[in-house]
Amino acid sequence: MTYWAINAVFLGLVAVTAGAALLLRWVRTRATRASSAPGSLAPVVRAAGLATAVLLVMTAVFDNVMIGVGLVGYDESRISGAFVGIAPLEDFAYAVAALVLLPSVWTLLGSKSETEAAKAATAARRAARAGGAGTKAEEAR
Amino acid sequence: MGFAYLIVLLISIFGMAMLDRRFGLFFWRDGWRAFVTLLVGVVFFLIWDIVGIDAGVFFRGETSFMTGVQLAPELPLEEVFFLVLLCWLTMDLLAGSRLVLDARAQRRAASARLSTGEPVVPGGSAGPSGSGSATSSGSASSSDATTDGGRA
Repeated sequence: MTYWAINAVFLGLVAVTAGAALLLRWVRTRATRASSAPGSLAPVVRAAGLATAVLLVMTAVFDNVMIGVGLVGYDESRISGAFVGIAPLEDFAYAVAALVLLPSVWTLLGSKSETEAAKAATAARRAARAGGAGTKAEEAR
Repeated sequence: MGFAYLIVLLISIFGMAMLDRRFGLFFWRDGWRAFVTLLVGVVFFLIWDIVGIDAGVFFRGETSFMTGVQLAPELPLEEVFFLVLLCWLTMDLLAGSRLVLDARAQRRAASARLSTGEPVVPGGSAGPSGSGSATSSGSASSSDATTDGGRA
């Protein structure tokens, strides 16, 4: 098994986690949109871009140092041969995975207040839609 | 047997913790959530490492910088600390980038108001609806980071 083949499996798992987190975020945003300003994804994407750039540069620097001083070695027959300095390109998959997996897990865990805010917004919207009678039904439930 | 690599990692992790504490980025934003996120990340990357080691892709180098303690064949003790650092750094960077960009957008919105003669609300985050980034910065996910950061 090559380094890229292993990376593909783990990056696949990361993608699935990210998909689940995006879905949850979408559901939450839809629930809260009625009561608050529409949440734009743009600032999140810009911040992620900046963090990605910084982490990839740091990875390039520190991975080269780590390999340079001999902390880790690679079987040359199992890596692609694409390098950034002396660091195999495959190593960058760890940084990319961290940048996607960790915020996804963070989102999936959700904070109590976020979940409750979404629930409250949904309930309020339902009540508003159904009118006064709807509020009573909501309370009875 | 050497402690150089471990010490460097511990110093770096300490740095992550200090930045986190100062700006309320990860553990200081939601401790339990951060702990679980970090744990999931470290375990995930350890499994990735073990699969890589098992397939013979990479192996531990023989250096005098490491303690020589191995958690599994070719898996040095230091790798756990490296992964903690990687995960903590990633989350600090993501939250920190957001703070930096939001602050910059707010400054820009404030100076735009100054130049157009509009009153400047001190510390106010609610800009005119035209300045997209400043307005949306007050919504959902960023607001808790900003408040916690202010408290820390």
